[in-house]
Amino acid sequence: MTDVASSGESVEAPEAERTTAPLPGTRGSRVFALISKEFWSLLVSPVSWILFALLYLFRGFEVSDLLQRFARAGDVDSFPTYYLLTASTQWMVVMVPPILTMRTLAEEKRSGSLELLMTAPVRDWEVVFSKWFATWLFYVALWVPSFAILLWLQATLDVSFPIGQIATSYLGLLLVGSMLLAVGVFTSSLTDNQLLASLSSILFAVGLLSVPGMLAGRGAATIDSGFGRMFLEQANVVAHWQYWFFRGLVDTGHVVFYVSATALFLFLTVRVVESRKWR
Amino acid sequence: MIEIEDLVKDFGSFRAVDHVSFDVQPGEVVGFLGPNGAGKSTTLRVLTCYHPATSGRVRVHGLDVLRSSLEVRAGLGYLPENVPIWPDLRVEEYLRWRARLKGVPRRELKTRIAETMELAGVSEVRRKLVGHVSRGYRRRVGLADALIARPPLLILDEPTAGLDPNQRRKVRDLVRMLRGRHTILFSSHILSDVEDVCDRVVVIHRGKKRADGTLQSIAHELGVAELRIVVRTDDAGALVEGLPLRTSSLAPRADGFVDLRASLLERDEQDRVVDVVSRRIRDAGIDFRELHVFEPSLEEIFYRLTLGADALETGTVESPTEEEAA
Repeated sequence: MTDVASSGESVEAPEAERTTAPLPGTRGSRVFALISKEFWSLLVSPVSWILFALLYLFRGFEVSDLLQRFARAGDVDSFPTYYLLTASTQWMVVMVPPILTMRTLAEEKRSGSLELLMTAPVRDWEVVFSKWFATWLFYVALWVPSFAILLWLQATLDVSFPIGQIATSYLGLLLVGSMLLAVGVFTSSLTDNQLLASLSSILFAVGLLSVPGMLAGRGAATIDSGFGRMFLEQANVVAHWQYWFFRGLVDTGHVVFYVSATALFLFLTVRVVESRKWR
Repeated sequence: MIEIEDLVKDFGSFRAVDHVSFDVQPGEVVGFLGPNGAGKSTTLRVLTCYHPATSGRVRVHGLDVLRSSLEVRAGLGYLPENVPIWPDLRVEEYLRWRARLKGVPRRELKTRIAETMELAGVSEVRRKLVGHVSRGYRRRVGLADALIARPPLLILDEPTAGLDPNQRRKVRDLVRMLRGRHTILFSSHILSDVEDVCDRVVVIHRGKKRADGTLQSIAHELGVAELRIVVRTDDAGALVEGLPLRTSSLAPRADGFVDLRASLLERDEQDRVVDVVSRRIRDAGIDFRELHVFEPSLEEIFYRLTLGADALETGTVESPTEEEAA
């Protein structure tokens, strides 16, 4: 290698390209670059692989247990529901989004790399969206082996699982996941401490999965307000799964709820990132 | 290329930049100097659109940094003070990502990355993870990142900080090589680096601009020069007593002579001071080796504009009055 900087002559410095500054590249190419970098970071992170190994170790035990029950009952229609409503699924929903998202902005703030990122020609929302979308893609990738296992079981057991029901179940899980990932990116934007970001996000997820159900069970009679009842019903994620998605039913209202909540938390994250401009 | 007019930046009640104005012309290499906390990095962050100004007008390439932030950022390469590079990417991957982010056409990526790595002297660590390279290399990877899109403007915040002398020299050589092709704003604490590569310097202190110009013009405006006397006497201080001089060092030498250096506080008094000192030497019959006046170092100028100015303001260093000098 020729050390140009020391020799000073072996390579000529290229001319600067622009005297004015037209915007380089397309928005799509910038966002794609951001997403691929974020996805790559998740892919090479040991944390991701430890998560993956632990989840599928648990799922392995769960599947073995389920198969014994299936051999006794032989209920093909309810098998996918039991298969997806296991402890490892709850881990996937409560623990995985916070762990995947905890470093997205907190780490950038801690290391100072946010400055380098935001002084590149990218918009704040492009950065936030890319970080969320990359973690969502990774989250989808984490679910793919579970679907592959289901297909393998179908072939091995020579049965036919209800495809529509399976598809809506995964849709429900991915929609909740997208919302919790947006929450995770949001909590990560509030602090430069990854642990704090993930704990806040876990707290939110646990609250979302348990509180509406508890309130709906205990306090339905005491909630007079129509809005209160509607809010509880909309936020009752477990009920959405049990009575809708996992039964093969899709209510547009539920889909809109998760998509809107995702958009809301991403919007709040953009505002937090932009807040450096108000200080 | 850069126009800063009356820039003010407040953080709450703290005023980090206080009505600073200066321009940088295309092709210039301008040193941006100031002690820690002077407001250098804040000014650079306003220029790079990271922080908005509280008031004032900042334009880069003729575009307002607030209104045309994206276009301004597209035309500049920035090396922040702490190079916080993503550690899980290899050097080559990192530069590829940054190039794509900055809109370098896909077909040019390979050659552009190779050229830039060669230019910044990081080709030998191209396959290493950025988190595993030494601090010096990391800084040069940061430089390569700033250069990758061939921006017309380079803003380098302390590019030589924390580097060993050889690495500093390489960075200086690189900046010299880029002179004329890019406009460069070069912030540094290391005065010799600035003296070495910059056409002009802007000095700020406590958020305010203290000087702007070439070293010679600043020295002239400040009216400072250095006087050196090498004489054989026990009381060299008496030779400069009552003159508009501030003794900066008085060192005995092995040959029995003493080496006295003093800053001339009134540039116009230079000839009279030399006449008075030489007459005193002659009258006292003292042996002498040297008596001459020379331009001050950047270090002395920097001191005068920053801590020296503070000391004068607070009265901890007394500047002789004309009457005393006479």
